[in-house]
Amino acid sequence: MEKPGGGGVLSAKEAFEKLEKVGEGTYGKVYRAREKATGKIVALKKTRLHEDEEGVPPTTLREVSILRMLSRDPHVVRLMDVKQGQNKEGKTVLYLVFEYMDTDLKKFIRSFRQTGQTVPPQTIKSLMYQLCKGVAFCHGHGILHRDLKPHNLLMDPKTMMLKIADLGLARAFTVPIKKYTHEILTLWYRAPEVLLGATHYSMAVDIWSVGCIFAELVTKQALFPGDSELQQLLHIFRLLGTPNEDVWPGVSKLMNWHEYPQWNPQSLSTAVPSLDELGLDLLSQMLKYEPSKRISAKKAMEHAYFDDLDKRHL
Amino acid sequence: MDFDLENPLGNFHDLPCDAVPSLFLIESDHIPPPNYCQSLKASDFDISVRRDVVSLISQLSCTFDPVLPYLAINYLDRFLANQGILQPKPWANKLLAVSCFSLAAKMLKTEYSATDVQVLMNHGDGGAIFETQTIQRMEGIVLGALQWRMRSITPFSFIPFFVNLFRLKDPALRQVLKDRASEIILKSQREIKVLEFKPSTVAASALLYASHELFPFQYPCFLRAISDCSYINKETVVQCYNVIQDIAREEYESVLNINSTSDTPVNVLDEHFLSLESEKTNGTNVVVTQEQDFKRRKTTDYGNNRRVPFSHFHQC
Repeated sequence: MEKPGGGGVLSAKEAFEKLEKVGEGTYGKVYRAREKATGKIVALKKTRLHEDEEGVPPTTLREVSILRMLSRDPHVVRLMDVKQGQNKEGKTVLYLVFEYMDTDLKKFIRSFRQTGQTVPPQTIKSLMYQLCKGVAFCHGHGILHRDLKPHNLLMDPKTMMLKIADLGLARAFTVPIKKYTHEILTLWYRAPEVLLGATHYSMAVDIWSVGCIFAELVTKQALFPGDSELQQLLHIFRLLGTPNEDVWPGVSKLMNWHEYPQWNPQSLSTAVPSLDELGLDLLSQMLKYEPSKRISAKKAMEHAYFDDLDKRHL
Repeated sequence: MDFDLENPLGNFHDLPCDAVPSLFLIESDHIPPPNYCQSLKASDFDISVRRDVVSLISQLSCTFDPVLPYLAINYLDRFLANQGILQPKPWANKLLAVSCFSLAAKMLKTEYSATDVQVLMNHGDGGAIFETQTIQRMEGIVLGALQWRMRSITPFSFIPFFVNLFRLKDPALRQVLKDRASEIILKSQREIKVLEFKPSTVAASALLYASHELFPFQYPCFLRAISDCSYINKETVVQCYNVIQDIAREEYESVLNINSTSDTPVNVLDEHFLSLESEKTNGTNVVVTQEQDFKRRKTTDYGNNRRVPFSHFHQC
């Protein structure tokens, strides 16, 4: 670890060679870059600090600290270093140096869809176990992700390792979502309590997203592909039944609650026909309406669905 | 991301019960390395520099939540452990104090007035006036030295977990215990002896000491709960408990000294000594290795609010 204040410390610009810009977002740009000293490929996320009188903004300070803490887990994308530099106008710039991953789960699923093949069941099981493990680690530190989706689950296709990305500040660097795509505001993975305007989130919002990703790995199609908040809710209600006070106490008091068409719940096997019984049971526990009844990430790891998975390298 | 920085296990019942290992696993990332304490002891000058900066931070923080100075002093210790004492100049001490205070305030989202800080820092000498840019540069140096690991895992992070082990059902009693333990933790941070121990050990020891003061009859159960915790090294807790006991005793001795000047109402002493009234039980002998300075009297009715006059207390 380089010590600050000494001579010979390379600035961020000098230490890295930018290879290509791979993303841009609210706060700044994302580059695939090579560290000159080691030849290692990294993801370099650059943001200008919005300084006024206060120097490093509290939000930035808090979120970088969290990323540093979470980087210990093998299933969270590792923040390797943080460097401060100056841009051409003399403004302070922050460089977040992340490990680089070749692909993400969205591209992975799309490649299977294009070839018409199904994702091998053991591959699904391994990826899901890693996802639950990474989420359990974040939740164990009292941290929610709140935007889990295939695009920010990075993968190494050679080793089939999966890592959670886009936590907090890092999320500001995602590729901007273009208008008129079907993934406007990433509604597809959003929990019903969020759609209905709950003001207090819990870890269960991430578990719902994990469940949607689970189903998508099996079918290669989004489970609930809504293109508006209302349509998103209706997609959910058509499969799981329109919720009421019996199955979800308190639901009718949520801010965005209205009268909805009344659907009866369908069996999950109609939506995910090729998933086995244990998988369907785990999925059903991830998609409980009442947030407090949803399985935790830690408990999910202990579910019998994963019993025959070789976990030694995960 | 939603989280309570001061108390990452704050919604204890909402978290998976096995979330706790995470904090025990990473707490060592957030304390000075083991040899820091020895390095300080080896140099009277280093100890005096630390004491000066701690004092400055305390002045800056006196109107804020006590967790703020705790966090700032944690940054100070980690910085000194990494950088050493670079410049033996009073203005450098002030700049370091202001920077650690400012970073801690940002982490805790505490608003403060930069003008007030300037006035306080300039009191006593007319020289040092820190421009915003100077503080920002120093903040950057501290951040780099600490590798941006600013969410320090402090003893406060572990208190809810241990209190849950104690199975006190009355919320008011739990709060009293937490408050007293927090007070002990804050006082002990100023002593370099405590720096040798991990935050979880400090939290466990402070809670045991507080429970011995406040709930002496239940103390053996609390001790057993701590001993049974697989994340805690019992021998280390005993050592830390003894250090904390010494620090707390100094507190009482200073109260005694204050009383001798006749400036302090007797009632203040009554409150302190009444809290010490208890019967020794076998369980307490496991960790209390030094004789008590004060004779203790048994009272049979805890519901009774009778106060014992100060003149009835005397040393053995």
